[in-house]
Amino acid sequence: MAQFQKTSALSHGIDLTPALWKSFLAGQRQACARLITKVENEPDSIAEVREKLAGRIGKAVRIGLTGPPGVGKSTLSSAIALGLANRDHRVGVIAVDPSSPFTGGAFMGDRIRMENLVGDSRIYMRSLASREGHGGLSPATPHVADVIEAFGMDRILIETVGVGQAELDVLDCTDMVVLILQPSTGDAIQSLKAGIIEIADIIVVNKSDLPGTDTVLQSLRFVYSLGGSNRRPAPPIIATSCQQNEGIDKLVDEIEGAAATLIESGRHEELRRRRIVNEIRSGIQRRLWERYIAESDVERTIERVARDLVQNGESPYAFVRDACSRIELKSRPKEA
Amino acid sequence: MSEYPIKVVIGKPGLDGHDRGAKVVARSLVEAGMEVVYLGLRQTPESIVAAAIDEDADAVGLSVLSGAHMTHFKRVRELMVDQGLGDRLLTGGGIIPTKDQETLTALGVGKLFGPGDDPGTIAEYIRDWVRTHPRMEAK
Ligand SMILES: Nc1nc2c(ncn2[C@@H]2O[C@H](COP(=O)(O)OP(=O)(O)O)[C@@H](O)[C@H]2O)c(=O)[nH]1
Ligand SMILES: [Mg+2]
Repeated sequence: MAQFQKTSALSHGIDLTPALWKSFLAGQRQACARLITKVENEPDSIAEVREKLAGRIGKAVRIGLTGPPGVGKSTLSSAIALGLANRDHRVGVIAVDPSSPFTGGAFMGDRIRMENLVGDSRIYMRSLASREGHGGLSPATPHVADVIEAFGMDRILIETVGVGQAELDVLDCTDMVVLILQPSTGDAIQSLKAGIIEIADIIVVNKSDLPGTDTVLQSLRFVYSLGGSNRRPAPPIIATSCQQNEGIDKLVDEIEGAAATLIESGRHEELRRRRIVNEIRSGIQRRLWERYIAESDVERTIERVARDLVQNGESPYAFVRDACSRIELKSRPKEA
Repeated sequence: MSEYPIKVVIGKPGLDGHDRGAKVVARSLVEAGMEVVYLGLRQTPESIVAAAIDEDADAVGLSVLSGAHMTHFKRVRELMVDQGLGDRLLTGGGIIPTKDQETLTALGVGKLFGPGDDPGTIAEYIRDWVRTHPRMEAK
């Protein structure tokens, strides 16, 4: 974490006191805010927090909203959140913005477009900086979503800039992805990364009040008519205008329709299972690595080995094999 | 214990129309390594404090150039104290006579800056304040 040993770093921890936990359960936003900060700032505390949250998470539908900068993701997230709240959902909104790799700072302007959400008790909005997620999502994102779900939210929107790593990360921690474009993206569609176009569950052309909307809709339909060998049915393509309040209801209908299908088909549970598998895997990796590092002077050994390897041009894998053969698992894990 | 950046919420209460100054300060805090949640124009004291709660801000910054600084800073401070943010910094900028600064200081408002101040000193002030004022968690 050398990256954040920067000028404005803090290191005060947050105690998970009974009082804090009690206010969280009583629905106090201040407590939810503190708990989010805790999982964001103290990766070592995630196990403790996660255990406390058990039984309160797993039901919410997590929806990624991604697309190029400036297409209206925040404006639309706000409209969708209100639409969902008006259909008796409680909605969490997480907007992730990039951290500067140089200073560790981040400018987070999504709330400028989310004014309508402020003071609405059915909605909880939080801005997250991507931190050590290196251009993608903050590694804390799924844990922040867990805290927000445990706070009582059953729909969670996660807004990310859809370029590079972020669009892949968002797939890992959501149940469905909405790709947002705008009329001027026209020609850019051809060059959009194959990945996101194939994986998006719903496509939105926002700013349909601007000229060029029909052209984009046509090229999108064309792209999907080509089909892909392994693609599911073409996703719905919806035109919206936040400015004219057009298409928003239809979009919320589509999202809710997709959510219902996810749940009924068992796919929602399957995705959750996969995320838990990943959580277990990375938890084990982390713990084993920490133990390995702690039990010997291995960090310095690795440095020395690396220096030698650079000099004689050899591969590091002999060392890896040797190191692994020294880690003996005392027994196989018990079945739960 | 890992280290993490200071988080600041910046907003402009009232109806006066431009936020260039607030944006310049926001950018300079980002350059100083802070995470800045920028709320934009035409905020109310209520909306600023509500955002500061959800964001769990370490500090709240207001930009008030309309001359209504007494009303806005006082009201935001009251709301912060009422809503459990009494242990966070409230700072900001405007054209603030010494007498007004003294009155606001007595109400628990932090140091306020003027148009001539170097944004770098604002970052430094926030950093020092936050470092020397750990949160008071309810036990
Ligand atoms: N004309 C038009 N402008 C919009 C619409 N939706 C959002 N915008 C504007 O697009 C700009 C970027 O919006 P924002 O939500 O911040 O985009 P983001 O960067 O994708 O989150 C803002 O100036 C919005 O007011 C729309 O439907 N029509
Ligand atoms: Mg945005």
